[in-house]
Amino acid sequence: MSVTISTAKPARRGTMLRESWLIVVARNSVAIAAGIIFFAPFVFVVLMSFMTSDQALTSNLWPSTWHPENFVDIFTKLPMLDYLVNTTTYALLATGFMLLSSVPAAYALAKLRWRGSTATFVVIICMMMLPPQVVTVPLYLMWSNAGLTGTLWPLILPMLVGDAFSIFLLRQFLMTIPDTVLDAARIDGCSEWQVLLRVVVPMARPGIAATAIFQFFYAWNDYYGPLLYTSEEQSNWTLSIALSQFKHLHHVEWNLVMAATLIVMLPVIIVFFLAQKAFVQGVTLTGVKG
Amino acid sequence: MTRRPLLIAAAVLLLAACTPGTNTSQDVAPAGQEAKGSIEFWHFFTDREAKGIDAAIAKFEDAHPNIDVKVTAGQDDAKMLQAISSGKGPDVGLSYSTDIVGKFCSSNAWRDLTPYLERDEVDLEQFPETVRSYTSYQGKRCAMPFLADVYGMYFNKTLLAQAGYTAPPKTMTELADMARKLTKRAPDGTIEVAGFLPLLNFYEHTPQHTAPAWNAQWLTADERSAIGTDPNWAAMLKWHKELVDWYGYDNLQRFTAGLGDEWSADNAFHQGKLAMAIDGEYRVAFLHDQAPDLDFGTAPLPVADNQADRYGAGFVTGNIAGISANSKNPEAAWALVRYLTTETDSVVDLANSIKNVPTTKAALVSDKLEADEQFQTFLDIFANPNTSTTPPNASGPKYVEMAQEFVNGYLSGASTDLPGGLKDLDQRIDQALDLGR
Amino acid sequence: MTSVLTAAESTVDARRPVRRRVPRRWRHRLTVLSFIAPALIGIAVFFGYPLLAAIYFSFTKFDLLTTPQWVGFRNYVYLFAHDPLAWQAAKNTLWFVVILVPARMLAALLTSMLLVSLKRGGGFFRTIFYLPALAPPVAATIAFVFLFNPATGPVNGFLSLLGIDGPLWFDSPDWAKPSLVLLGTWAVGDLMVIFLAALLDVPKPLYEAASLDGANGWQRFRHVTLPALSPVLLFAGVTGVIQTLQYFTQAAVAASVASGTATTGGGVSSTFGYPEESTLTYPLHLYVSGFRYYDMGYANALAVVLFVVAFAVTLVLLRRFRAFTGETR
Repeated sequence: MSVTISTAKPARRGTMLRESWLIVVARNSVAIAAGIIFFAPFVFVVLMSFMTSDQALTSNLWPSTWHPENFVDIFTKLPMLDYLVNTTTYALLATGFMLLSSVPAAYALAKLRWRGSTATFVVIICMMMLPPQVVTVPLYLMWSNAGLTGTLWPLILPMLVGDAFSIFLLRQFLMTIPDTVLDAARIDGCSEWQVLLRVVVPMARPGIAATAIFQFFYAWNDYYGPLLYTSEEQSNWTLSIALSQFKHLHHVEWNLVMAATLIVMLPVIIVFFLAQKAFVQGVTLTGVKG
Repeated sequence: MTRRPLLIAAAVLLLAACTPGTNTSQDVAPAGQEAKGSIEFWHFFTDREAKGIDAAIAKFEDAHPNIDVKVTAGQDDAKMLQAISSGKGPDVGLSYSTDIVGKFCSSNAWRDLTPYLERDEVDLEQFPETVRSYTSYQGKRCAMPFLADVYGMYFNKTLLAQAGYTAPPKTMTELADMARKLTKRAPDGTIEVAGFLPLLNFYEHTPQHTAPAWNAQWLTADERSAIGTDPNWAAMLKWHKELVDWYGYDNLQRFTAGLGDEWSADNAFHQGKLAMAIDGEYRVAFLHDQAPDLDFGTAPLPVADNQADRYGAGFVTGNIAGISANSKNPEAAWALVRYLTTETDSVVDLANSIKNVPTTKAALVSDKLEADEQFQTFLDIFANPNTSTTPPNASGPKYVEMAQEFVNGYLSGASTDLPGGLKDLDQRIDQALDLGR
Repeated sequence: MTSVLTAAESTVDARRPVRRRVPRRWRHRLTVLSFIAPALIGIAVFFGYPLLAAIYFSFTKFDLLTTPQWVGFRNYVYLFAHDPLAWQAAKNTLWFVVILVPARMLAALLTSMLLVSLKRGGGFFRTIFYLPALAPPVAATIAFVFLFNPATGPVNGFLSLLGIDGPLWFDSPDWAKPSLVLLGTWAVGDLMVIFLAALLDVPKPLYEAASLDGANGWQRFRHVTLPALSPVLLFAGVTGVIQTLQYFTQAAVAASVASGTATTGGGVSSTFGYPEESTLTYPLHLYVSGFRYYDMGYANALAVVLFVVAFAVTLVLLRRFRAFTGETR
């Protein structure tokens, strides 16, 4: 039911075009400058990943000798592919479980009226306020008694019962959906679940996509969680733990750390680049709101 | 929604949570029985050093075919603490420092090894007294010493010769004089080469490492802070402050900010930006590796002027190994601990591969130990009876880090009242230690 | 409290044969429960339980290895009267809350608006702007500290080309925290993505109607963009404050790298706060107290205080910016 509205400019094209041209140039320059600033540290990371270990973290910023074999070394020193599988599993399951539990919860908080919804909302925000260093003490014992330490399950299973950050974010997105659309669906005889799945989810796709991306990348780069729960079982390590392993007793091989960092980032960069389409789609779908 | 069931459930869970996992029997098998079974061994090494440990474990398994060891690398103290507290944990744990000795011994997180030592007639005299002191706490010995780190002075022979010196300083006054003469500054006052860096939060220049040179005491016999009442502390800090003021604190800050990372090839001493430096015995190998053209010498730290007879003393610390209370196979665990810490050839091999100091007397005199003239200095410091360490304490490194914070503030000029500040530090350390009593 | 019955609902009801005499109220409650039940379980297990544990432990002497001993208010007395480090740490953390949160929100807003206005290459720039947020935090901090090395880093090198004598950045007690703010703002991609999703949700016709009505750029921003963004702005503010109160990793890594004794994955606690306790955050002090000094009871007391502060600030934010939540109730 989308209606594309043309973005025709009003008349008086002569002066408008001249102003737009300047603005376009200015805008693109700012974009390029910002792009350089955001990208510059990665140039440094790339350069370091080709250096020898001795030259890394010295003031010599250009590799005096080039060592592309660093990228091969990290795979021979550590079972990076196993870690890749572990990390992908963790990130995918955590994201999937999060969506299953958090989208309905966010919908209940955003669009259903019930006594205690505000209190529940506040309590959910409160979940983020306890420092993880302190929360892990009783939780670690709980997981240890359940026999799940040494695995990634203590990090994945809690997603089945909601993630506070995601619920909050989804609620904010869902609140922007006009009630009239929902009421229309209800009048048509939809149950609340049908309203959620058939009407709300398609409309909230950019928000849901953003939340899912957030959760996925958080899990992907999560270091302290896997360190706490899986460090005693090397076969369950994730890529983030691997990044901290390229060191000797008194010496860190920064060149390998940076090479491994690039490898760790590559899949998520690709995922992000492809997932961006979800945003673009949102534009045409919501063209009729309001 | 009734909240009471929730609270009751929470209380029950809490009670379950509160039970520590350290109730185990201390029965020791009679002598002569062969240990067997499988055990878990956690250590903190990674990469190359981890391979050295693996080689040692392989030899152990050859000597004890009935024992199977599962090795996990890269485990630190916090991980061991968490695991043991939840009732799990490795059979044998290796810790990088002596920070945990106080707490692990007093809480029985690591088992008391005395029954095993007595039964198997292990001679503790093979370790120097200081080493024995950092592996036990309040009479309970729960750890055995693994490898040690010894700290002394490195000096750049070329830079010294340029200023007319042929020998390193032996007293603190000499050190201050030489530091000033060896310093090179640019016309605008910024430091180019520092004779000696008097800051105490730079590389291995820390209060722990310099305190033995002044015979400065950390704790009294009943574990209260001795810093405020020991005149050696005041003397030490005054000496450092004078040198800091001579350089100018801002100049020093700027200089150190631009120096390379301690563990990189850009290390200031490697690069000749530091004429004299305090560092550990491992630095010898790094220098040979990364700065082969640097003509350097090693010597004990200079001592306070009025303590010339103590010259040769230094600071020692080390890795320690213990058996966790939850171990299901303590006999096999003890066999491994004993092997790693007292089996001479194994100790020498590990010392050679990791480039640290071995702790047993037999290993120190073994002809398999690779020790050139510069490394030998550290072996001598290790054997010196005046060499000391920071006393173990049930609050870990708390008192050391609190002192460090005070020293940083004093040297930066943030606090100027030394006697008052030291007394205040005493009081604060005592209060902080009380928190854990 | 019964939900408001619209005329439509009551006609629906009349048309349907009533099979069970289940009151509408309960049916509604069951429906809500089916949506929210997992989250309620999560709250109980992963929040209620740790919270009660934290409150309990805060009144004990607890070292994780032996049974906790009740000590009453001793930990709290120490916190408020005898631990100057706790106050320094609290000040540092609050500094970050006041400076880092608005800085990130502003950066996210500006970059997302820039992205929306780009006609060509949007996807490419979007990826570039988001890239820093994808970098593993530890590696990113190390790279940043190194780039900002006062003597050998390219940043000061570039500044000296412009004739500016660059500060000591992470080595200066006055500049260490602002340097960390730069790091946090550089990695603003995650927040930017959220703002972007919200901006893209704004229907174009609204903008066109506004400009047809004669609104200029700023007025369009104020009356179209800002209200549409208000739910995510509130979200960014509240979560920003809560997360900044937990600021840990970057401060720890930056301190250990800048002090010249870098190791990966967090350093030795003696380097935390470098230089001169300027980067010692409240969670760092908490971690060291609990896991290095075995004062777990005290660490829990620190946590409870943090929780109370976070709760108070959040309530204030939620109340004052109720207008911002876009609630139609």
